[in-house]
Amino acid sequence: MNERSDIGTAFGTGAPGAGTASAGMTGSGAAMAAGPVPAAGLSGTAVDAAAPRQSLTEREHRSRRRRLNAAESLRGLLFLLPWLCGVAFFLAYPLIYSIYVSFQKIGVKPDGSGLSYTYVGWSNFRDAFILDNEFPVEMLQFVYRSVLTVPVSVIFALLVALMLNQRFPGRMVFRTIFFLPVIFATGEVIQELNAQGQGTIPFLQQYNVTDLLYSTFSPSVAKAITGILDQFVIVLWYSGIQILIFLAAFQTIAKSTYEAAQIDGATPWESFWKITFPAIVPFIVLNLIYTVVDLATYPFNPVLKLITLNMEDVDTGYGYASALGWIYFIILLIPIAVLVIWSRRQTREKR
Amino acid sequence: MASGSNDLWNAEVRSGDAPPVEKSGWRSGLAGLRWNGGTAARAKRILLGQNINDGVLFKIALYIVLLSIAVMYIQPVLYMLATSFKSMSDLLDQSVTYIPRQFDLQGYDDAWIGLDYLKALWQTTYMSLSAAILQVLSCGLTGYAFARLRIPFKNVLFFIVLLTFLIPPQVLVIPLYVTYAKLNWTKTALPFIIPAIFAAGLKASLFIIIYRQFFATLPKELEESAKIDGAGPFRTFVKVMLPLARPAILIVFLFSIVWHWNDYFEPSVYLQASQANDFVPLALRLDRMQEALNLHKSLATGQNVHLIFDMNEPLKMAGAILIIGPMLFLYMFAQRYFVQGIERSGIVE
Repeated sequence: MNERSDIGTAFGTGAPGAGTASAGMTGSGAAMAAGPVPAAGLSGTAVDAAAPRQSLTEREHRSRRRRLNAAESLRGLLFLLPWLCGVAFFLAYPLIYSIYVSFQKIGVKPDGSGLSYTYVGWSNFRDAFILDNEFPVEMLQFVYRSVLTVPVSVIFALLVALMLNQRFPGRMVFRTIFFLPVIFATGEVIQELNAQGQGTIPFLQQYNVTDLLYSTFSPSVAKAITGILDQFVIVLWYSGIQILIFLAAFQTIAKSTYEAAQIDGATPWESFWKITFPAIVPFIVLNLIYTVVDLATYPFNPVLKLITLNMEDVDTGYGYASALGWIYFIILLIPIAVLVIWSRRQTREKR
Repeated sequence: MASGSNDLWNAEVRSGDAPPVEKSGWRSGLAGLRWNGGTAARAKRILLGQNINDGVLFKIALYIVLLSIAVMYIQPVLYMLATSFKSMSDLLDQSVTYIPRQFDLQGYDDAWIGLDYLKALWQTTYMSLSAAILQVLSCGLTGYAFARLRIPFKNVLFFIVLLTFLIPPQVLVIPLYVTYAKLNWTKTALPFIIPAIFAAGLKASLFIIIYRQFFATLPKELEESAKIDGAGPFRTFVKVMLPLARPAILIVFLFSIVWHWNDYFEPSVYLQASQANDFVPLALRLDRMQEALNLHKSLATGQNVHLIFDMNEPLKMAGAILIIGPMLFLYMFAQRYFVQGIERSGIVE
């Protein structure tokens, strides 16, 4: 009877949530073992034995639970240990070093024994915008192109995924084809194909689209658009993962929802906008973020090329290249932060 | 009559998740078919189907759109393949587009030598395989911890994982290169293998996220029963959770191999000083083919002067085919897992 009440408190104190159910169980086991000891120690009347014992065990439970939690946290950290080491060596250290370096002018020591560091304050960052006549231009071009490319490839991925989601013979063949570029899109191979004009759509030259664009838009916008069209196939090539994410997203919508809408007389158009679209909004955001990151780390984007060039340049060197890298990263973070905050607000509204 | 057929329309065309672009297409097709009662209804059913997305017209439109996109996708690959077999005369001949007059293997011969193919193949395989296996294990451990274990400041730590995914490698490579150079790793595969042990390296954060999402979908009772049976957390992970994570393991393994194989930027920085006899992965060797062939030509003719080897298109394309060949081969067998993996691994939840 007394033991049973012990088990009850053990379960009662265990807060509902991850991992606590099992913690409560081990706790109860320990309480059961400890149970008879204070009872024997008190050994007085059986009537008031229950009251002090209960308060004792409750305190015990709390400390025991704390100890168990600490042990569990330790275990969790042990699992994370390799990753934590990795973060320290391969992320934190290089990040801090590169912040440090971006405020330095780095040169080779006169005797050639190593690198010399001179503190230059913010001048690397200032030079990037004032002295450098390439970086701001390339950066602006990159922003222009991203603004055009990212929605295009996500919408394209959505349309292809919608088509591939239909039941028809040979859909796996098409899936295989659309995913193929992910397999072989090596930087070098793409570079080579681009150099030979294989990234462009065949009809572009036929219809003189470039001239048309330059006559209708301002030169910088036209340059951005033609830049995309020249590599349009490559842009499409980079939507393989996005297509798969959308296809997986469609699987999360229950078939019965469509059936119900169908019975209520909804047209496919309506059921797309009322059922499919709201359900995949989070995945659209996910894909937008993925595309931005993919585009930003695409090794042949001109900004990254510029950074790499500056790295090797003796005049500018690591310090300046690091500063450029940081400016680039911060500019990149803006759209991602906006997307994340927006999607958070969306999901919160839904709840 | 008009209202009747309208009702028929409503009854026949039910909703589906058809792409919105189709709507105008079937409406006009339908208008032409409404002239004759029974036959028209049957024809309409065959053409448009019970649901909009199983009619013949819809299917045809779907195939046309998908095929034209597929052609756009495959065309560069075909171009690569075709060019790699061309001789110089075929290359200059405007009338030869895809099928060369004669299949010329000279490009492959030269590329084989220029890439030092067998050696590079072994080096690249060894690097990508070991990095992939290590990432499968280390990222699995980390992903599991994030999904299931009690970790202080878990959200902050997971935010770091997400951040790692976003940081462009250009910010990090310089200090890492300096470190690797001090450790004398810049002529070996170690800059790619060692980070994999620590759940770092190429796209590791993405793999951690995949694992975390996957483990989060498994029922909690599994671990609880393992615990009751007396298994410690590590044993639970190795014996119970990891075997269940097969779909996630497969997708991480395949992607890790492919991405390591194709990676160009990091090797080009870390291995800038490594010579042909050191570790140089295939992706980098395409870049250096010219030098390798110059050297080979000088040695073959016994001359000391540096000869310039003529780098023509067939040679470059043959090199590219040789580099991506093994991955295409892998894809042929594993494409099912690549394509279905994302759905199965529960990334999307």
